[in-house]
Amino acid sequence: MTVRPPHLTAGRLVTATSVLALLLAATLVATSLVGPVHVSLARALAGPESTDAVILFRTRLPRVLLGAVVGGSLAAAGAALQALLGNPLACPHLLGISGGAAVAGVLALVAGADAVSPVVPLAAFAGALGAIAIVALGARAGGRTTPHAVLLVGVVFNALAAAALMLVNALASYTQAQGVLFWIMGSLSTQSYGLIAGVMLYSLVGLGWLGFHAQDLNLLAAGEEGAQQLGVEVERTRRAVFLAASLLVGAAVSVSGMIGFVGLIVPHLLRLVLGPDQRLLLPASFLGGAIFLAWADTLARTLLGPVELPVGVVTALTGGPFFLYLLRRHLRRALA
Amino acid sequence: MRVRLSAILAAAALGGCAPAPSPAPAGPPARIVSLAPSITEVVYALGAGEQLVGVCAQCDYPPAVASVPRVGGYLVPSVEVTLARRPDLVIAAPSPGNREAVRAIERAGVRVLVVHDRTLADLWASIRAVAGALGTPAAGERLVADVTARLGEVHARVADLPPRRVLVIVGHRPLVAVGRGTLQDELLTMAGGVNVAADAGQVWPTLTLELVVARAPEVIVDAAMGSEAGARELFAGLTTVPAVQNGRVVMLADETLLRAGPRVPEAAAALARAIHPEAFAG
Repeated sequence: MTVRPPHLTAGRLVTATSVLALLLAATLVATSLVGPVHVSLARALAGPESTDAVILFRTRLPRVLLGAVVGGSLAAAGAALQALLGNPLACPHLLGISGGAAVAGVLALVAGADAVSPVVPLAAFAGALGAIAIVALGARAGGRTTPHAVLLVGVVFNALAAAALMLVNALASYTQAQGVLFWIMGSLSTQSYGLIAGVMLYSLVGLGWLGFHAQDLNLLAAGEEGAQQLGVEVERTRRAVFLAASLLVGAAVSVSGMIGFVGLIVPHLLRLVLGPDQRLLLPASFLGGAIFLAWADTLARTLLGPVELPVGVVTALTGGPFFLYLLRRHLRRALA
Repeated sequence: MRVRLSAILAAAALGGCAPAPSPAPAGPPARIVSLAPSITEVVYALGAGEQLVGVCAQCDYPPAVASVPRVGGYLVPSVEVTLARRPDLVIAAPSPGNREAVRAIERAGVRVLVVHDRTLADLWASIRAVAGALGTPAAGERLVADVTARLGEVHARVADLPPRRVLVIVGHRPLVAVGRGTLQDELLTMAGGVNVAADAGQVWPTLTLELVVARAPEVIVDAAMGSEAGARELFAGLTTVPAVQNGRVVMLADETLLRAGPRVPEAAAALARAIHPEAFAG
């Protein structure tokens, strides 16, 4: 990964984000028109109470939008965490934030909350906040939070959360166990527009917060000492980026469970193409993640006809090999 | 559909279709351990509840079973707790996690009877196999005849009504439905319904919400352990679905619906009431 990307200019920033935004718009339209049931857009627009309209606007579009905002949040958080921790393997699910959300969501289910009620995402979100607090405090020593410590505490907390999930699964009834699977495998079941709008607003704030620290992240990635000499408040920046990324992950996980690979692969893929400058990489990852997950979910809900596949399976099976191919190509070029 | 139904009932009446493994009987067993809720119910219905010295953690019917010691979960029974009950017969139904445990119990020299509990045919076979092992085959035939007759009574109430299109769901998020090849699908048919998810190609298909709109069920039976508000929220806005239009989303979180035991007529009756309430009015 030593190939120098072209210098980031305002023109490049605008061009790249515009292209991705257009691609996302096209994706939202195209994926809304694909599904296990054939729907006519003309009939849907002609009759707001027609079957076509109900399918298109009340079941499919909210799901497509949810996929986009979840994918975008996970990918942007992944890009920021990879830079913050200086670790290419960092992904939103590594730090235990998703695990904390999943455990709280599952506990709410077992305590009798309905899988459909907003209590479950709210509980999951509270769980994410709790996990963030535990990891942030646990990794802090002498007023400093090193990336190394965050990673270690996150990994351990994640293992604890996984064990807690298994424990609940072992004790829960057959029907409750299905709810546990939702959290482990991830799913983009249709949610209400209100909830989606809430998550979207929240994600954009998180993205903006990350974007505000993008240049500091760039300098930090080049070296802690250098960044400090250039006026970056290292400790404060680290804390802010960690919090913003965590909040993005918490919101995404609370409505979709743990969907893997988006937060790991999309930022890497875009870094290979666009370079590591966070000012471009962050918005590009958000848009790219949205595009990727919208298409992955389209495959998940159409490949087997009426039966749905877990979307996490699709993201892993499509994203994994493609990523390996890109990585091989990149490594070969770097050596040549 | 009528053909399929009569085939099921005929199979029950004729019997003999049970390939029950019957190890050399060493006299009727006095100490029995049951490793599945459906088996426990069969043992009680055969009048042998007194002989049960151990049951699984999920065995909750009839009420008398509450005082019987537990030997582990339905999915993962404990070998040593089972053996400590000194059973002379252990009856198990295959579950994803109990294969090795059941083998270990068998290796320890205890007589093991394995019965299936997925469909009605399994139930008839299981009743006959358990009755055979108890040395009371006549009681088994009587129980099969009794359960079959009561299922027939339920069916008779709705047989002349036009079948309704029904979706039975067992999970809200993700949306999991009852597919073909399940006990629930068979009971649904007896209760005067047509399963709109029967062609999904899986036993427990996970469905996209839009499929519910496309299949337009007249009745949605919600057998998930959720709340009524949850079901309302889930289907809110699907205004073209007849079941939603007519307020026919029925909660039926009934354990009997998930169990191939002697209480299947009750499950069928509950389904029939949900699908054809007019047949039960007055």
